[in-house]
Amino acid sequence: MTEHAVERLLADALRPIEPPERLSGRLEETFSAVAEAAANELSDWAEALTESELEALRDPRNWVRPAIAVTAGGVATGALVLFELRRRSRQRSGGGLRGLTDELRSRL
Amino acid sequence: MQSAPAGPPERGYACSVAEEKIEAGPPTDPVAKAEMDRAFEDLYRAHLRDVYSYAYYRVGNHHDAEDLTEQAFLQAYRHFDRARRESDGRPLRPWLIRIAHNLASNYFRDRSRRPQTPLDSADPISAPHGTEALVEGREELRNVMAGLQHLPDDRREALIMRFALGMDNREIARALGRTDGATKVLIHRAIKQLQEQMDEEAGDD
Repeated sequence: MTEHAVERLLADALRPIEPPERLSGRLEETFSAVAEAAANELSDWAEALTESELEALRDPRNWVRPAIAVTAGGVATGALVLFELRRRSRQRSGGGLRGLTDELRSRL
Repeated sequence: MQSAPAGPPERGYACSVAEEKIEAGPPTDPVAKAEMDRAFEDLYRAHLRDVYSYAYYRVGNHHDAEDLTEQAFLQAYRHFDRARRESDGRPLRPWLIRIAHNLASNYFRDRSRRPQTPLDSADPISAPHGTEALVEGREELRNVMAGLQHLPDDRREALIMRFALGMDNREIARALGRTDGATKVLIHRAIKQLQEQMDEEAGDD
């Protein structure tokens, strides 16, 4: 048997299979249900998000936390800046044993 | 039937199963979603027969082929948006068949099943003239279908894609996650093996 003959047989044997009618109906029902569920979920989520956002903006209790966060952040930044400035001034004046020796020499 | 994930067309073909599990999900914009649904419907109508044919020749019965087809399209729907974005306009049929291929692999792995020979479909389209020739033709078709079941999985799948779905080498390569050259060799070897099997059987008779 030639390769060509095998290919011809394969083409005859492996014909495309028409899906049954019921499968198309079943799939379309499934897709409709999935699409509807997704649309509802999206719509609910969008509504809930908008309402909760508006609620949060109106409620003064929710203003305290951001204010505290900003204040705490400011204080922490200030402390860091101060710490850094002191470290640099110490470096300039010379640190460690050599700095102490220099200071004693100058006093004497 | 357990579902099998499938990634976007190009990257997903070559990437691992774990990577393929990343979900894209449908777009959140209602207009974009409506457009995506229409595009998916077109894809579904164009390739329902392909996916069903592939499923049928893999599992060998209509009942499981229907389940597998439904699962394949559901998986495709979940990843469709990302697949379209990453396809760069290339046809999505190999991606769809890849999903069906993964699902069929899970089907056999999870249930420890072997493919069944779908002999009912082996009737010739164009019947040869005369009763003797008709019987001989049917016998040859049965032999070729039986021979298919003895091929290694990848060879059999490539032949199903080529002959039942009419896919070219490039499409088959994308569906199987191989190079075009490797796919060409795979198909050639599959036909050669089938030819040798049938010659041996004819010699035995």
